[in-house]
Amino acid sequence: MSEKKEKAYRLLEANNLLNQIMFRYMLEGHSASEEGRLAWLTSGFPVEIPLAMSLGVVYPEQYGAVVGSQKMGPQVCAFAENIGYSPELCSYARSSIGSVLKPEESPLEGLPKPQALLAGNNICGTVMKWYDAVSQLTGAPVFLLDTPPIDDVQGDHHKEYVKAGLERLITFISDHFDVELQDDRLREVADNSTRAIALWTEILQSCKAKPSPLNCADRFLAMAPVVSQRGTEYILEYYETLLKEVRERVSNGLGAIMDEKVRLLWDNIPPWFNIFRFFNSLAKRGVVFPADTYTHAWSGSFDSPDILNAIVSLYSNVYLNKGIDAKIDKMCELIMDYDLDGFVLFSVRSCKRYSLGQMVSKEIVMERTGVPGVIIEGDMVDSRLFNEAQVQTRIDALLEMIV
Amino acid sequence: MTKEYGIGLDVGSTTTKGVIINQNGEVVASYLRQTGASVSAAVQEVIATLREKSGTDLERVPVVSTGYGRAMVDSAHRAVTEITCHSIGVHHLNPEINLLIDVGGQDSKVIRIGDNGKPIDFELNDKCSAGTGRFLEVMARVLGVSIENLGPLALESSKPCSISSTCTVFAESEVIGRIGSGEKPQDIAAGIHKAMASKISTLSRRVGVVEPVAITGGVAKNPAFRHYLSKQLEVELWVPKIPQLTGALGAAIMSLKKSF
Ligand code: SF4
Repeated sequence: MSEKKEKAYRLLEANNLLNQIMFRYMLEGHSASEEGRLAWLTSGFPVEIPLAMSLGVVYPEQYGAVVGSQKMGPQVCAFAENIGYSPELCSYARSSIGSVLKPEESPLEGLPKPQALLAGNNICGTVMKWYDAVSQLTGAPVFLLDTPPIDDVQGDHHKEYVKAGLERLITFISDHFDVELQDDRLREVADNSTRAIALWTEILQSCKAKPSPLNCADRFLAMAPVVSQRGTEYILEYYETLLKEVRERVSNGLGAIMDEKVRLLWDNIPPWFNIFRFFNSLAKRGVVFPADTYTHAWSGSFDSPDILNAIVSLYSNVYLNKGIDAKIDKMCELIMDYDLDGFVLFSVRSCKRYSLGQMVSKEIVMERTGVPGVIIEGDMVDSRLFNEAQVQTRIDALLEMIV
Repeated sequence: MTKEYGIGLDVGSTTTKGVIINQNGEVVASYLRQTGASVSAAVQEVIATLREKSGTDLERVPVVSTGYGRAMVDSAHRAVTEITCHSIGVHHLNPEINLLIDVGGQDSKVIRIGDNGKPIDFELNDKCSAGTGRFLEVMARVLGVSIENLGPLALESSKPCSISSTCTVFAESEVIGRIGSGEKPQDIAAGIHKAMASKISTLSRRVGVVEPVAITGGVAKNPAFRHYLSKQLEVELWVPKIPQLTGALGAAIMSLKKSF
């Protein structure tokens, strides 16, 4: 067997810019904390409001991804487990609580100290108790934006309820930080968000091309700013640059991987501790993931005369807050639109909300699309739950079904 | 590479199996042994035995490896998963089969076989010993009978007792409790097989029970397990003559194909 030294994938030039803005984001978090105006947010929280009210924001889930990527999951999670948190608890929550307990032994010395904790349960119910726990440890007050699940269409009563929550949020921030919400500032932030999401959507859709200009790991890294810094102006340049690079790749027929043979869909958060190894070893075998359900979750627009109404609708209708059908439809749509040969459902032990229903989803998606799928098990941060040999057998068997 | 023969090696966690076939797909020789601590020692001995039994020089014969140790076989030209190999192997023996249930020493799998013998869907249990041969081994030890006699003993029961747990550790203490309360060994043995069959029938239903159904793997030799599984799935089970060899057979067939 001949060992080729050549890389199986192409690096993105836009990554330099990405590193710069992630660095800036980190510094801004620290200075906001020092100035007493830092909020910790859940990934599905309407960041536009705290941002328009001059708060700095950081995302513990994103921090969890850092813990995972640095392969510190088992260690940092154990700090939380040692004081009694169950290993069944979401590993983002465990690593967040663990890093608050022992920042000196955690990556980046933990997140900067929060002055407010803003939780939205549109992604899951875990965040509520998790933020309560952090509140106990840090003394920062918690605000919960309650978005009851939606089975089909969001009724008027539902919209009014969530909107009342947003108004309560505005009051909460005003009271704690002595700031007012300016309408024109909110408009500006919302416009930036809309623009970032539009660019992001265009970038994602360019992966319909063959070969696909981006692979899964590319998108998981590139989504960081649209998740954590949407609403700011400085991220737009990055997405414009990335879009340009992606378009160039498409017009030159250059793929994210050197020799694209099989196109798959990915479902769920990635195993952060293994992300490059996992996707790049598949890249060597000609397997690319032009689409995934996760990075496609940041979509929509605030382009409406009433921004609060637009916020209500966008944040209530994330598909984690909807029935399982919404996700099944999304998967089928992605498989068709991106012309995919099969799918991999990553069953994440931590995230019951995202992983529940994968078994039945697999059956339905296979039936509707006619392509095979496989479920692999593990976790996004806690590498103790990821057995490489078992995952390998399942993926290999899927590939054998396809080729 | 001579195309006259093909070798399949199935390196499982418990046993290593080797099959050599001729161009017509007929088995020329086969061999099975414990894998033990060294995969390469097991593989070498299996190949040496196949060489001896078949009376052929195997130097240039294509080899496909499968099973959990498939990547550790240096002499293999290609590694293919046990899922594909079992599917191909069973299809070769009985092309009618739609669903294959394979219960091995440390894992179990259920495979929907497509028209060309390739798998079209599957579920695996390789994370926990419940629902594998290991479960029955542990229970046999607790009951103080040999693994070969556990099945026949269970078939003597007319009143299986209920073992509610399929977790090996919990079931073990349940069985000890049953022994303590004076239940008959045959009834306990029957209860053990029922619990195991229920675990496997759940796995099968996830893939969808489409007849005809085959059962392979070491546990397929256990008559009580077949009895209870067949009852719970409400289907007849087809068993190949040597149910442990289908993975290696599939691998041998794959070794004679350019691509699949
Ligand atoms: S349980 Fe899932 S949705 Fe909730 S915080 Fe953890 S990873 Fe996110």
